[in-house]
Amino acid sequence: MSADASDLSLVRRVQRGDKGAFDALVLKYQHKLVKLVMRYVRNPAEAEDIAQEAFIKAYRALPQFRGDSAFYTWLYRIAINTAKNAVVSRDRSPIDYDLDRNSSDESYDMQGRMKDSETPEGLVLTDEIRSTVNAAIDALPEDLRTAIVLRELEGLSYEEIAAAMDCPVGTVRSRIFRAREAIDRRLREVFEGGLGRAEELG
Amino acid sequence: MPRAARNSAPALSLALAWALTAPALAEPPSTAGSTEVAPAQWLERMNRALTTRNYDGVFSHWHGGRVEMLRIIHRVQDGTVSERLASLDGSGREFVRTGASLACYLPDKRTVLVEQRPPEQSLVGFPTVNDQTADFYEIRDMGRSRLNRRDTHVITVAPRDEYRYGYRLWIDESTAMPLKTELCDTHGRVIEQIVFASLTLPARISDAAFKPEVSTTGFQWLHNDAAPQPSSTTLAWTAMRLPPGFRMTVRSAQVLPGASAPVDHLVFTDGFASVSVFVERAAGATSPQPPQQAAVGSSSAFSTVIDGHKITAVGEVPPATVQFIATQVKAQEPAAPHP
Amino acid sequence: MKEELDSQLSAMFDDELPSAECELLARRLARDEQLKARWGRYAVMGAVIRAERGVRLNAPLAGRVSAVLLAEPALVSRSSAPLRVAGMRWWQPLAATGLAASVAAVSVLWLRSQSPLAGSAPLSSQLASAPRALPVAAVVPAAINSGGGSSLNYVLSRGGSTAPLMVPSTELANYVVAHSTFSSPVARRNLLSAFMTSEGGTLGAEEAPQDAQSSAK
Repeated sequence: MSADASDLSLVRRVQRGDKGAFDALVLKYQHKLVKLVMRYVRNPAEAEDIAQEAFIKAYRALPQFRGDSAFYTWLYRIAINTAKNAVVSRDRSPIDYDLDRNSSDESYDMQGRMKDSETPEGLVLTDEIRSTVNAAIDALPEDLRTAIVLRELEGLSYEEIAAAMDCPVGTVRSRIFRAREAIDRRLREVFEGGLGRAEELG
Repeated sequence: MPRAARNSAPALSLALAWALTAPALAEPPSTAGSTEVAPAQWLERMNRALTTRNYDGVFSHWHGGRVEMLRIIHRVQDGTVSERLASLDGSGREFVRTGASLACYLPDKRTVLVEQRPPEQSLVGFPTVNDQTADFYEIRDMGRSRLNRRDTHVITVAPRDEYRYGYRLWIDESTAMPLKTELCDTHGRVIEQIVFASLTLPARISDAAFKPEVSTTGFQWLHNDAAPQPSSTTLAWTAMRLPPGFRMTVRSAQVLPGASAPVDHLVFTDGFASVSVFVERAAGATSPQPPQQAAVGSSSAFSTVIDGHKITAVGEVPPATVQFIATQVKAQEPAAPHP
Repeated sequence: MKEELDSQLSAMFDDELPSAECELLARRLARDEQLKARWGRYAVMGAVIRAERGVRLNAPLAGRVSAVLLAEPALVSRSSAPLRVAGMRWWQPLAATGLAASVAAVSVLWLRSQSPLAGSAPLSSQLASAPRALPVAAVVPAAINSGGGSSLNYVLSRGGSTAPLMVPSTELANYVVAHSTFSSPVARRNLLSAFMTSEGGTLGAEEAPQDAQSSAK
């Protein structure tokens, strides 16, 4: 199978006018992009703004994307450029993310936990999401857990994981899928459960 | 080089202008003299916290338009200080101090510098704020400020002349840790900034926390095996003139890692900033070498060869100051046969 | 049947679905909000497993982008040339022992990356695996085709400024370290931090002659 087929199939749809396909790309890469941008700006809210800008730029530039590089590589470069411009345009002044703004976008307590801040609910939500996923993963049978961790943490391909776990590729695919389903059962509640606690697309 | 006259009108207005460029802060002290803790005491509390407490934090270091993240872990246990400072982006450099040994891991140069240093040494020659310091810096309490949901006290240390830098410090009220530090030039412009993104003060830190992440296979290890000694070289070096307020506080000789002969090490301080001067024989330098300047972040270094000796000054001061001091260093006594 | 379809979503997310099926699923994914939401939750799971601290996991980023795009003109591909699909993924031959170690290490990695910040050293262990994120320069693929005069081909330089990365000479490093003991704590931290980061100037000429000089002390 060809590499990057997944992203390219979505990109092709966007290039033919299907904006919904772009949503899928955003959903897939938003955390990675924000994390990347945070190398340049420490403030998470600002990083999100820059990531947002990068996605919009990528959308507009998509007609010129030819598939010479992987989509994510191309997106990554746009994000870096956007982040660099954002930092430079602040006129080389030092990062100041406290005194002039009333809402602290980055806060920490002496326990040292970096929390996202917004409403007190927003504060709780990321932690809740994280602990829900962690608990779900801890509860997974070992073979499912190993499969998904090798995939997400180590970035191994299905074939590599199959070699590592000494099982067929089809089994790897099934294990990862079942792991995700098990986690999703709990995670869905946080995202959909009562009073629309988490933001959802659209 | 401008000679700063103490207490002259221009010097005072410089300090005032400097303080005024500080960002608008909430809650200035209600009346002078009614603040419970004097500004200098805040600095003392801060220094004490930095040297005696256990802490583990991640901070951003901004300088020259670049930001990098670093981690610092510091522990004082049974009178021994352990410390590890590691770059989290890019360079992979680390600095580890455990008890008497300092190791500087430079993966980009595939080198490790190791120095042995007796523990008491760290307390000698250490700049301390005293009454004299006020002659050269204006230390002010700018009031309280909320920084990342902590109550902090903002203290500014404004230089009264061009020979030194100033600081703005956001000192956490309950722990006295400097949550944000700005290094400023004499015009109040920020040239370096350090802000903690996260910080804990754990009661216990394991030894494992001080192990470097760097893999040192194939690295060159440069040791200095000799402990610092009182100057045993035949020449006593001293500075003929110094910028106002600077005085020599340490004179020693040591063997730097990778070197075969001791280097004279003099330390000058004005109570807040310090400058080290290293003197060594210049190898086979018959023709005069051009003086050289360097910068390490906001700190300056200057090197020149005088009378067959290479003199290097390093310090967290403006370039002009290291240059001034380096060029003023002379031998006090006539040369005697080298042992 | 449904499970087959659902597992396709998971496989596509991992880029492990044959391209023909990707085309079909992409069409469904673009229009099905439930499917999109699941896809989005897959991404959240990945972010949690990689313990990407500091990143908001419920950020309304995707929704905002979507809202902005509503107002954007729909893209119309200028040329009818099909996208060139990048070559086959190059499978690195992995020694069996290496992989076995991977598997064994997973549980350790997992635990390490999930432990709370206080009391252990998760940040450093996470960041020890940060090379996975790849320093910027390493991500640039070997051949960047400028294709169509796109201005999106960047020459990546390390760090945010255009100044070349300067590496302090060993001699300067020695001086800095030796001096640091005599700085005030705050100044010392600034000095060492600057030294630890990518900054620093050479003291003197190039490295080789410098070392030759100092070794002749």
